[in-house]
Formats: sequence, C-alpha cells, structure tokens
Amino acid sequence: MNKGVLIFANNNRQIDYAKMAVVSGSLAAKHLKVPVSLATDETTVAWMKQSGQWQEALTVFDKIIAKNTPQDLQQRKFFDGPTSTTAPFKNSTRPSAWSVTPYERTLLIDCDYFIMSDALNEYWEVDSPLLISDQYNDIQDQSRAGWLDSYVSDTGVKLLWATTVMFTKNDETKIFFDLVEHIRKNYRRFADVYRFDNRIYRNDIAFGIAKHILYGFETDKGYSLPSVLSVPDQDMIVDVENGAIKVLSKNLNDYTLCSIKDRDIHLMNKQAVLRNIDKIKETV
Amino acid sequence: MDFGYLIFVNENDESNYSTLAYALALSIKNTQKEGYDKVALVINNRKYISNYKSTWVFDKIIELDDMPEGWDVRSNMDLVTPWEYTVCLDADMLFFRDYSHWVEYFIKNTELYIANKAYTYRGDVVTSDYYRQTFTKNELPNLYSFYTFFKRGCYKEFFELQRAIIAEPEKYSNEFLTNKKPKVVGTDEAFALAAKILDIQNEISFPLEFPRVVHLKGMIQDWPYPADSVTDHVGLYIDRKGNMKVGNYQQTDIMHYVEKSKITLETINVLEEIAWKTKEEV
Repeated sequence: MNKGVLIFANNNRQIDYAKMAVVSGSLAAKHLKVPVSLATDETTVAWMKQSGQWQEALTVFDKIIAKNTPQDLQQRKFFDGPTSTTAPFKNSTRPSAWSVTPYERTLLIDCDYFIMSDALNEYWEVDSPLLISDQYNDIQDQSRAGWLDSYVSDTGVKLLWATTVMFTKNDETKIFFDLVEHIRKNYRRFADVYRFDNRIYRNDIAFGIAKHILYGFETDKGYSLPSVLSVPDQDMIVDVENGAIKVLSKNLNDYTLCSIKDRDIHLMNKQAVLRNIDKIKETV
Repeated sequence: MDFGYLIFVNENDESNYSTLAYALALSIKNTQKEGYDKVALVINNRKYISNYKSTWVFDKIIELDDMPEGWDVRSNMDLVTPWEYTVCLDADMLFFRDYSHWVEYFIKNTELYIANKAYTYRGDVVTSDYYRQTFTKNELPNLYSFYTFFKRGCYKEFFELQRAIIAEPEKYSNEFLTNKKPKVVGTDEAFALAAKILDIQNEISFPLEFPRVVHLKGMIQDWPYPADSVTDHVGLYIDRKGNMKVGNYQQTDIMHYVEKSKITLETINVLEEIAWKTKEEV
C-alpha cells in the first residue's frame, strides 16, 4: 500500500498558506520519510509562480494538485497575538481529500501543522481505515481549552480535530468523506439538529458529526490519532532557535515563554508563522 | 436456569410507577433472549396494573399488602424474589438491546454484584458527585442499586445489615455518615454503608465495564451549565421500533430516565405493539 501526506493550501489576500505548506511539507517529508502532495487551487498556484515559490514547491511536493479556486464567501477573524484581521476563510475543499489524494493510505494535515518528529509513523499500519485526532492539547495546559474545543455544542457530539486525519482509500472512507461534504453543503440544517454555531464552516465540526453518524449515532471510542498539540492564535511566536520554537503563551494578564522542540505542533497564529517561516524552514 | 428480573412498585393514586414498570417489562420482553426475559413484579396492590392489556409480560406478580411507604421495600429484594438468580432494577428504566451476556457472566462468576458506575447520555462515565456528596464525603463505595444481581440465599449478612440501616437510618447516619448526612437514607446509601462496614465492596462491586446504565439526571451530564432536568436541554425521542435517542445520541445501554412523565401512553403503545409482534413470531 503506497502512503503519503496530503496538505491543503488555499491562499487569501492576507495569508500565504502555500508558503506555510512548503515548509510544513518539507518537515513532514524529513521526519516521516514519505512523499508529500499539495492540494491547492489555480489562484494559489499563480501566486506561487509569481512570488518565486514554485520551483521550491516542485522539489518538496510529490504532486501538486490544483483545482478551481474555491468560492468561499465566509470571513473569519485571524488573531495575531493581541491584534486581529478579518480575511476570507477557504476551507471548503477538505472533503475532497478522498478523491484528490494520490495515495492509498493518506495522512491529511493542515498546512499550519508542523511535523517535528516521526510519531505519526506509528499509525500507518493501524488496523483502522479512518483515524482522526479527537483531542485538543494546549501548549500551556487544558485550562485554556474551552468547552467548544471538545464538543460541537454544549449538549452535542464530540468535536474532532481535522488538523490530522489518516485514512485508507476504500468504500468505507468514501462514504465518510461524502458525508462530510453533505454536511458542509447542508451546514445550517445540521446546525439545527446538532445545535452548533453555523456562522463559519468548520471541518472539525463536519468531521465530528460524520463520524458520529457513521458510528450509529454514538461516540467511537476506538483508535484515534494522538491529541493535537496546539499553540492558539492569541499566542505569539517570538523566535526559532536550535530547532526549538519559542512562543509567548497568553495568560489572563501576561504571557509565559514556552519552547517546543521535537514535537509535532499546530501553530494557529498564521501571521506569526509567516513572520518566522524562514527560521522554521531552517529546522528542515 | 432460574433467572429473572425483579421490579418493585409501591404505587399510590398520584404516582405512575406501575406504568413505568410495565414499560420496563415490555422492553425486557422485546429485547432479551429466551431464558433471560422473565420479570417478577412486586406491587402493593394488583388493581394498579389491572387496566394493562399485556400483563403477561409479568411472569410473576407478587402482591404485598403491608408494604412500607416509599422505596424501603426494595431492601427486601432477597426475601421476596421468586428467582434463583435475580437482577433487581429500578422501575424507571428501559432496555434497548440484549444484555443477557452480562447476566451469564454474573451467574458464572459472582453471587452478588452491585453496579458501581453510571454513564451520561453521551456514553461517558459519570464523574460528578453532585448527587452523591454523602458517598464522597463519607468515603462510601460508589454503589448504584439500580442494577443489583444476586443469588438467592447468598450474602445474608449484607442484606440483613442494609435492612437494619433502612429500618434505623438515624442511628446509622449518626454513627457512620457524620461528614455528610443524607436527607434520606435510600437503598444506594444503605448498600454502600453495609458494604463498607462488612468490608466486602471489592467482592461485590469489583471493576467491570458492565452493567452499563445511563443515568439521566441533569447535573451529571457533564454540561457547562447547571441543569435541573435533562429534557429541558435535549430532546428524548422514542421511535416505532422502541429505539431511544437523547439529543444526538442513540441509546443502546440500559436507560434510567428519571423523568417519569416521559413514559406516555404513546410510548406504551409502541412497546406493546413490538411485544405482540415478538410473541406472534415465537
């Protein structure tokens, strides 16, 4: 069974997701020693060529799959420490992962997920066609995690973290991804039934509900990927030194300086990642 | 093999426990395999079940004229059961699938087993002690009498002691429950205290993944806000096949629904229809 990593990146005017994906892909290839492909859109490809990233991308990625530019109309607030900007949020193509992946066993990751270890190599052979992380793991401690980091709503089903998803391409997972797409297309209707906030489409919610439905409207307590170690976007990346990412982690009234090394990490502050992208690239 | 479930009903003109027991017995007949589907009802007066269409779901009906008030009569479960092996249940419960493999395990491995955990409607183990302060503050074993398995004639000392506690609650509370006295010493407290005094909790309630009973009390559902009743916040739905959903969750474990008004005539009709079809098929 051939295996590989798939990363989605769709740029908006404020955030260069492709630039992050190149570094994220390089790190995944280095630590997991498997090919990495990029799923993107024509506009992002055009920008990659214009900004001089294209040649590097061709060396990093096994395949670059460019589809039509998604026409997502939703906007969201992107925090950069204490400040924020509002920008388009293009995340609607994720359910197409099943059809676009060139691999039989795929590790699907967000482009702001940086693989710094070979921990996920343990999961390629797990006898389960679909593995998703079911837990958020805050860099500081779980006291910063909110209720909606665990459930889609107060009384609703478990939230899954679509940041890391591993799947085998088969009939079962096709049904799963088709269902995720169905939920995405009928998001408001599902919000009525599952009582979540439907103002912004979230893959985490759609994946959580799809798994819940396919497991007979119960929580699947079987295998899952490890919890997603995360730095939320209100934290700031201040430096990368000797392979360690240094973060100012927000408390109620001040910050704590944290350092992460040799751990897979979800850096949610995109602007801070882009400011430090060259230093992160040095860890490759 | 002489196994059966035992349900107590101490009815008055304002309560509907006989309806709940009838619904439970119907659900047992609808889901349990032969040999594990017998039900005995202990009731203070037969007149309360005289209007039901299918009293055949009660394999034995034991009428007790001199029942004490409330639920203290359950402390006599070992004395009144007609079965060699018994699981005593609360009346406000429903079955949704075959649980006979649990019973098979208990018959083979134990003479007395009392449930030691409950589950939320999402299938998580209840961790809140909101309703169980007496247990945590007095370091009582966390026993739930809503599912009690026993073999007739065994653990006499335990049953006699819990009866004594029920009979003289003040005496035992003052002596043993000093850190937090319960308003009422119920069967759960009496079982837990008796087990602790006799130091047999590890014998009669060792860790197991079953029985799985969902306890639908509001404050223990692991919600981010206080909830007096569960159905103020999520819907409770029963379909024509007798399946239950609570909120977005299909229920497959034994349901201790607590809110007595949720068993309506419509629910009874659904369960009766399934029972009749099942009986015809047999």
